[in-house]
Amino acid sequence: MKGITGKRFVPLCIAGLCIALFAACGGKKSGAVIINYPTFQCGVNTAAPVVEQLIAEFNQQYAGKYEIRKEDVPGDQNYVDKIRVQLGTGDVPPVIYGGGYNLLDPALARDVVVDLTAVINGDSEWKALYSDTALTVNSRDGKIYASSSEGSVIGYFYNKELFAKAGITAPAASWDEFFRQCDTLKAAGITPLALDTADSAWISMLWMGAIIATENTAGLAFMQQMTPNNYNTPEMIKAAALIQNMLRNYTTVDAVGGAYEHAANNFLSGNAAMIANGPWMMGDFSDTTKTSAGFADKVGAAVYPGGFVYDAPIQGYFVTKQKDPALQEASIAMVKFFTSAHAQQVALEIQGMVPSSPGVPISDQAKQKWPLLVNFLDQANNAQFRSDNLQATMYPNLLDIVSQELPRLAAGSITPEQFCQLLTEGAAKNN
Amino acid sequence: MRTFKHLKTVEKLGFVAKYVFLLGCVCTALFPLVWVFMSSFKTNAEILSNGISLPSRFSFDGYTQALKISPILQYFFNSVVITSITTVVNVFFLAMAAYIFARYQFRGKNILYLLLSLSLVIPMTALLHPVYMTINALHLANKKSGLVLVYTALNLPMSLLILRGTFQSIPRSMEEAAVMDGAGFVRVFFQIMLPMAKSGLASAGVLTFLNCWNEFTFALVLTSSQSARTLPLSLSYFTSQFSFNYTAMFAAIVIAIIPSIVVFALFQEQIVRSLTAGAIKE
Amino acid sequence: MKIKKRWLVLFLAPSVILFMLIYAAPLIMVFASSLTDWRLMSPGIHFTGFANYIRLFKDPDFYMALKNTLIWILIHCIAHVSLGVFLALILYKRPWGWKAIRTVYMVPNIISNAAIGMIFVNVFNPRFGVLNSLIRLLGFGDINKNWLMDAATAFPSVTMTWFLFAGYTTIIVLAQALSIDESMLEAARVDGASNFQIDRLIMLPLLKKIIGTTMVMAASYMLQMFDLIYVTTNGGPGKMTTNLPLLLYGVYRSEYNYAYANTIGVCIIVVGLFSMTLINRSFKVNEADY
Repeated sequence: MKGITGKRFVPLCIAGLCIALFAACGGKKSGAVIINYPTFQCGVNTAAPVVEQLIAEFNQQYAGKYEIRKEDVPGDQNYVDKIRVQLGTGDVPPVIYGGGYNLLDPALARDVVVDLTAVINGDSEWKALYSDTALTVNSRDGKIYASSSEGSVIGYFYNKELFAKAGITAPAASWDEFFRQCDTLKAAGITPLALDTADSAWISMLWMGAIIATENTAGLAFMQQMTPNNYNTPEMIKAAALIQNMLRNYTTVDAVGGAYEHAANNFLSGNAAMIANGPWMMGDFSDTTKTSAGFADKVGAAVYPGGFVYDAPIQGYFVTKQKDPALQEASIAMVKFFTSAHAQQVALEIQGMVPSSPGVPISDQAKQKWPLLVNFLDQANNAQFRSDNLQATMYPNLLDIVSQELPRLAAGSITPEQFCQLLTEGAAKNN
Repeated sequence: MRTFKHLKTVEKLGFVAKYVFLLGCVCTALFPLVWVFMSSFKTNAEILSNGISLPSRFSFDGYTQALKISPILQYFFNSVVITSITTVVNVFFLAMAAYIFARYQFRGKNILYLLLSLSLVIPMTALLHPVYMTINALHLANKKSGLVLVYTALNLPMSLLILRGTFQSIPRSMEEAAVMDGAGFVRVFFQIMLPMAKSGLASAGVLTFLNCWNEFTFALVLTSSQSARTLPLSLSYFTSQFSFNYTAMFAAIVIAIIPSIVVFALFQEQIVRSLTAGAIKE
Repeated sequence: MKIKKRWLVLFLAPSVILFMLIYAAPLIMVFASSLTDWRLMSPGIHFTGFANYIRLFKDPDFYMALKNTLIWILIHCIAHVSLGVFLALILYKRPWGWKAIRTVYMVPNIISNAAIGMIFVNVFNPRFGVLNSLIRLLGFGDINKNWLMDAATAFPSVTMTWFLFAGYTTIIVLAQALSIDESMLEAARVDGASNFQIDRLIMLPLLKKIIGTTMVMAASYMLQMFDLIYVTTNGGPGKMTTNLPLLLYGVYRSEYNYAYANTIGVCIIVVGLFSMTLINRSFKVNEADY
């Protein structure tokens, strides 16, 4: 023990630690331009196999020239949090995909986004994939910054077996009929709706938005507006009152405080007759760890009463400004590839994701794999009103307020008017 | 030793009450473990439909899926490396500092100690941004060493608090005798003080180990490639906004906790041995 | 005792450097930016004086969060620490199975909080939760209480997610208790003192300092508590279970208002300093025995 004297020991330790801490990592050189692409579409995310395949195809097509290296950031919220921290410091990945989370606006505020207007206008094939709504979602002040691949066409699913048990033959055409159906179901001992309030209350908010949009033209205009500041409108208050009614009378006891998973499970296990959600849920209908075998055959899809459907391309991929022009070019090539007609087709076939571009046909393979989707898209095409969903247009801080206040609304400790007032106050914090 | 029979009624009651309380503690502590373990065998529908029921069948699907969906073994390895280095470095450095604070007077001592223990009350969420920039500036982002640096610092106040208390509780007479024998400062520290502070070192070590093992936020923000990511991040692979695999997630949690329970149990033994060896008795 | 300056510097240097890198520099940023209008969504940063603090003191959410934080610190420092100390006082007498109990009691602290949170979401679930099932079993009928979302029960329910798991306190106090000289306790026993008297009159005073230390840790834990609340109620219903870290996180993450978030951060530090000082004073944690 006396071999190492203390005098030498301490500096040795410190030196050793310093070496360990500051040891440089040898960089691996290769000819291709490397795009490090962090993504939340990994793990159990339904888009994971799509991204996997697109990266493999891209790397093959551009072998020796460009190479995408996937970095998993599992969990949607983790990805968004991480990108926001990076935006704050200016050190961002070359390609960002916001999915349903508006990352474009914060990125633009930090001035890190590459203007793609010239590139896209000069590329007729790419340009042709943009619908009018896709242009709106991906442009700011007349400049195109992003490119979409997925559309979000959202209606609701219903359990045909439970409907039949209550003697209901078809989904409701009007909200009055809808609530009558809820009463009928309830009278037959069936819980009509699967709802949630946690994690920003995705399902409940889908119903709410649909009610607002079909109330009158002002309501529809409200739904089509980005980041509204005033929620104290008659349409909004009426919708809040109806949601209060739904949470109190027409849903499971665990809806208040429940998350998407709980609501989904209530629908999948036949505890509730209806759930509002997008086509990406269809895969779950035949997943036997989540539901019983044969459940998929019992599910029907519908657009909302009053002829409304959510239909908006999901804000797409964008390229960030990089010091290395070659990397920026590679990133643009990646975005083009990831949002091409082929990529949209891949997402449709693997995941049942609706293409953002109306020009992309529904292939026979997709029709065979997702019969429910075809049926639903037919209805959606005939829908009278369409808009983006409430959550996509709200300020992000309102999502927390919704989660916190819906339980109080359901309990009756606040009125629909107060609920809307709280949202308005929350919106004001952003200015 | 008297047997139960010979105890007075009050003592009997106390005895029973004591074991009822202990049993309560054990049940409370085991409940989460059992729950997680059971859930790793249930289907997703079972987990979401009945929290307390037994699994309908025992299948290891959850475990195979956990290994397939996430790179859990790689993350596990990273966690072991990062956590062990952090624990050793942290306890060593803080023992040095704590010893000085416990024994010596110097100008600015109180203010320095106050500053160092101030870090105990700093909300780490608020520091996320600046720490990220610091680590980037040191070129340690996305490296295990970056996380080691941050974790060593994160556990600084707690270890300082525990270790200073430990050194304070060691009688001065021990050192004084050694100094009389001609031992220098460094030898006193390494050969007398450190062995005598074993219980404190072990406590600080255990706390540091567990804190690092479960840390999530910094691991998320400071790493991006698989070579530096840690176990808590792997749990996010099993839930995304519209899909989930709870069975696999609970299997992953079991994989994550069983070894750390074992490590902890072994470490505990170490504390006891050092104590019963009479290291601290005068 | 005398010490050579270089040893003093060398022994303190690593900790001080760590502190500077990870705490001091960031802390200065936090303080400085609380006096600005720094937001992710606005390009420039301007000095705004105490505008953020004025907003803070007018913010009803802040008072709610402050109140909750203080109550939780109190509960944790007193009730939770007492639980841990009580267990340590039983275990140091080495009753049957004490080693196993000591290890087992630490287990929940090893499991990540995200998992613990999920477990409690299930315990409190109104439809199939363990608690409601238990109440039904005991014959109190179908109460179907939504524990985490009911205004009356949300706060205590969230408290339960961490309250019972006092493993840290127990191992630290126990380690100290085991190191106390047996002969002292033996002498008291010979004098006819009961176990209870020994605990109260000898052990507790000897453990006072370490209990103070665990209280400081408990207060610190509650000042940072975030994930368990986030997973179970996300601060709701209303703001009933929002504490300061959750408020800070919300402002930081969804309002992108970094300056205001840091103002809340400064406030947490002040609350922390206040409670640390109070605990240190009452337990004389900082004073040497000799």
